[in-house]
Amino acid sequence: MTDARQPLLKVRDLKVTFGKGSHAVSAVAGVSFDVYEGETLGLVGESGCGKSTTGKALMRIVEPSSGSIELDGADLAGLKKGGRQLRNIRTRMQMIFQDPISSLNPRRRVKDIVAEPLDCWKTVTGHDRDVLVSDLLSKVGIDPAVYGNRYARQFSGGQCQRISIARSLAMRPKLLICDEMVSALDVSVQAQILNLLEDLKAEYGLTLLFIAHDLAVVKNVSDRVAVMYLGKICEIGPADALYEAPAHPYTKFLLGAALEADPDSPMNAQVLEGEPPSPMNPPSGCRFRTRCPNATEKCASEEPQPQEVAPGHQVSCHYPLSITRK
Amino acid sequence: MTDVSEKLLIVEDLSTTFATAGGPLPAVANISFDLGRNETIGIVGESGSGKTVLSRTIMGLQPRTNVSVTGSVLLDGNEMVGASEDFKRRLWGTEVAMVFQDPMTSLNPVMRIGKQIDEALRVRLGMSKQDAKARAIELLELVGIPSPVQRYKAYPGQLSGGMRQRVVIAIALACSPKLLMADEPTTGLDVTIQAQILNLLDELKERLHMSVVLVTHDLGVVATRTSRIVVMYAGRIVEIGATRDVFANHRMPYTRALLESSPKVSNASHTRLITIPGRPPNLLKLTQGCSFAPRCSYATDKCHQERPELQAADQPGHSFACWNPLPTTRGDSAT
Amino acid sequence: MLELEEMALVERPEKKKPLGPLFWLCVGWIALNIFGAIFANVLPLQNPLYQNYSAINVGPSLHHIFGTDDIGRDIFSRIVYGSRVSIAVGFGSMVIGFGIGAPLGMLAAYRRGRFDTILTTFMYILLAFPAIIATIAVLSFWTPRSVFKIILVIGLASVPLVYRVIRTATLSVATKDYVIAAKVQGAKDRRILMKELLPNIAPIGISFLLIGIATVIALEGTLAFLGLSVTTPTPSWGNMINESRTVLQQNPWLAIFPSLALCLFLLSLNFIGDRLRSHFDVTEVKL
Ligand SMILES: Nc1ncnc2c1ncn2[C@@H]1O[C@H](COP(=O)(O)OP(=O)(O)OP(=O)(O)O)[C@@H](O)[C@H]1O
Ligand SMILES: Nc1ncnc2c1ncn2[C@@H]1O[C@H](COP(=O)(O)OP(=O)(O)OP(=O)(O)O)[C@@H](O)[C@H]1O
Ligand code: SF4
Ligand SMILES: [Mg+2]
Ligand SMILES: [Mg+2]
Repeated sequence: MTDARQPLLKVRDLKVTFGKGSHAVSAVAGVSFDVYEGETLGLVGESGCGKSTTGKALMRIVEPSSGSIELDGADLAGLKKGGRQLRNIRTRMQMIFQDPISSLNPRRRVKDIVAEPLDCWKTVTGHDRDVLVSDLLSKVGIDPAVYGNRYARQFSGGQCQRISIARSLAMRPKLLICDEMVSALDVSVQAQILNLLEDLKAEYGLTLLFIAHDLAVVKNVSDRVAVMYLGKICEIGPADALYEAPAHPYTKFLLGAALEADPDSPMNAQVLEGEPPSPMNPPSGCRFRTRCPNATEKCASEEPQPQEVAPGHQVSCHYPLSITRK
Repeated sequence: MTDVSEKLLIVEDLSTTFATAGGPLPAVANISFDLGRNETIGIVGESGSGKTVLSRTIMGLQPRTNVSVTGSVLLDGNEMVGASEDFKRRLWGTEVAMVFQDPMTSLNPVMRIGKQIDEALRVRLGMSKQDAKARAIELLELVGIPSPVQRYKAYPGQLSGGMRQRVVIAIALACSPKLLMADEPTTGLDVTIQAQILNLLDELKERLHMSVVLVTHDLGVVATRTSRIVVMYAGRIVEIGATRDVFANHRMPYTRALLESSPKVSNASHTRLITIPGRPPNLLKLTQGCSFAPRCSYATDKCHQERPELQAADQPGHSFACWNPLPTTRGDSAT
Repeated sequence: MLELEEMALVERPEKKKPLGPLFWLCVGWIALNIFGAIFANVLPLQNPLYQNYSAINVGPSLHHIFGTDDIGRDIFSRIVYGSRVSIAVGFGSMVIGFGIGAPLGMLAAYRRGRFDTILTTFMYILLAFPAIIATIAVLSFWTPRSVFKIILVIGLASVPLVYRVIRTATLSVATKDYVIAAKVQGAKDRRILMKELLPNIAPIGISFLLIGIATVIALEGTLAFLGLSVTTPTPSWGNMINESRTVLQQNPWLAIFPSLALCLFLLSLNFIGDRLRSHFDVTEVKL
């Protein structure tokens, strides 16, 4: 299904470790995935599992300790920190942050914020720049004539997120990494932003890596979904298939804990006990084994490798749940 | 309705207005509802709709300056509005206790968690040191903290968010309150931890025969955990009723918008969400009409001029505030 | 084209209290003092050094509006000339302190890493020395004292303090998402420092600068009182207060007027600094 398409982003065995020695936190412990051109890959997982760190490592905001990142065939992981080549990549890859208000400088005007990438790169200047900025602002639903000269601090969270989106699109990037971009917003505003994102994705031909902890939000925007647990991807597959028939026990629990706004939805029969172990000393073998009801000795001794349970649907578990399609 | 003495909590025409530099800010306006014993009621609404102010007003926790509270809150027969601090202090803990959203700010970071539970027991119930410690460990166990004897000595910073929230619940339960006010008890926690905490609250409610007011912005949280829900918008109740009725037969456009704009796990990928334009009104600049009118697609002239009062729907106990209510026979398609 | 939701933008009002008449009064007072200090030569003032033995220790009169001192010099003109030293020392040493401390503090907080560790450790070691005693020690040996030397010594002594304040202010800004966002846009370090960091720490910097000037002027007064400021007979506010000690009984005016000038100047500076800080404080309102 996905084979025919070219991966735009290819991540292999990405690792990020914070700190050294006995205090080392292996926040991302060997993550591999592809993002195909034009698709949205959702990345879900609980707090602290390393989603943001993965996103930041791709952007090289934090330094990966090993692994390869290929964007359109060009390797990013090897580029020198602060170097020109890395800077050049910035035009093709952008990121939107979780906290809409703190990701905009409160003392700058909206117009200037959106123009920031243009001013950095001097690709478009003068009158053309102003036209482009106005165009971007109206695309995200903010009237440039009325609000362009306002300071960022005068806007609400939803509006700030719109401005962030406009800024990230200025250089027409191919890949957009959205880190929890709607988690700080109210449902009614969240829906507006999600719809806007879908529209802009179509118009700009964007490829998205959509990081979030909210399973429902991820389901709504993603073509494929990757589930992370304690620094590793435990399951990745087409969104609908993965949600309908999770193959990894963790995914199943995660989905079971998601609350549907429906009084008739089944009360979660089984709740995952305990809490994730610390990434400072992760369990041996399968990282989920300490909480997994199906764990055996093999899980403790041997790390499960990704295996394909259906086309494009991979799971890292010794005993994948049987997939029975409805 | 039913016999008054049956109800644990009766809120009547409660309003809380803050005096601000921009003028009076009606954070909570004309709210009436009641709560039976051993019942859970959900209060839902978007940010700024007045949920926290309402729950704090019910507890009598409003600061004394720059705020005026009118109406009545009868808690097990005790009037909270206008009561003296001393009187309220006697009720806090034993009649009503609160679980706050952020467990980090409601726990003292430099005090062992055991001590923080002890405190309540010794001051409120006059327990001896040994008894208090034994009871504190019992409480820690009750809220599902593993190895409570060791954890008794832990500092809040050494616990995860979920564990901290359990400690906060343990403190709230110390004096066996009849009513537990939980203000967004799971916001900011992971789904799996959220499920654990909600199950815990449910279980404790049955075991200790408490009533619970569950405040949240997440419709998913209240859907299966409450018998009734209150939907708030701009400080007012816009719809109230049995949870099932509100979800399946809501009459107020805002309730519908809230339900439809939340993404669902069961939706197919790339389902277009139904949105409400704009955002909640500035409470300082409310108009005399329906506060939802500027965003409502059903709004008529009347909506902009006159405020709709709560009116009864078909099901008992279900009412809504709207001039152009949605039709009743829509089946379940909207949910 | 896109189908866009109609947005009912509810603006967050930019409600700012005006700075108020007292603020402008203080600004005016400072401006007047500076004006006096700069144009003391051309203003119709009496010679501050001229000793009129026929008018010794006279009280305020039409001819000498603040009176004269114990050797018949005009107090008013000495105060105006004296402001030169005080103001020059205050502003001059802060120029040095900020000129060195502020860029270093910003860079250290932005760069972090080893550069920051080494520099900060060094500055904290310097801070551990009592700056006032160090200043006194240096000035008592480095004679003859001149305004320039005093500025240099106080200015250098203030560098670690300025560094600490600016570094802390920058640290809180540098970890904000918008700084990371700018980096991700491809902005270069210089641009980030100037466009993202500077405007956000400027308010704190400016108010600290004004309060710093006030502190230094007070310090100059203290030094003068200890006889460690500019050599007499050059007037400075501190010198004058110092000189008045001996004749306090006969001529209290000699102490009152320079003290008043010093107090008013310091009060005004502190008040301006305080008002500016709260005025520019954009408290980020949450959703
Ligand atoms: N700069 C850092 N230094 C040390 N540890 C860090 C740093 N940043 C993140 N970590 C740790 O790395 C792990 C992964 O963090 P990360 O922020 O990527 O998680 P996340 O999945 O994004 O979680 P959330 O949903 O809470 O945002 C956590 O254990 C965190 O404590
Ligand atoms: N002490 C106060 N003084 C003035 N206004 C206040 C005060 N406390 C709350 N408000 C205002 O009252 C309104 C309701 O706030 P409240 O905190 O109850 O909302 P909420 O529904 O709990 O929202 P959230 O989901 O963000 O917690 C808000 O507009 C808020 O700004
Ligand atoms: S009263 Fe009018 S404006 Fe308010 S919700 Fe009903 S239809 Fe909409
Ligand atoms: Mg994160
Ligand atoms: Mg609240």
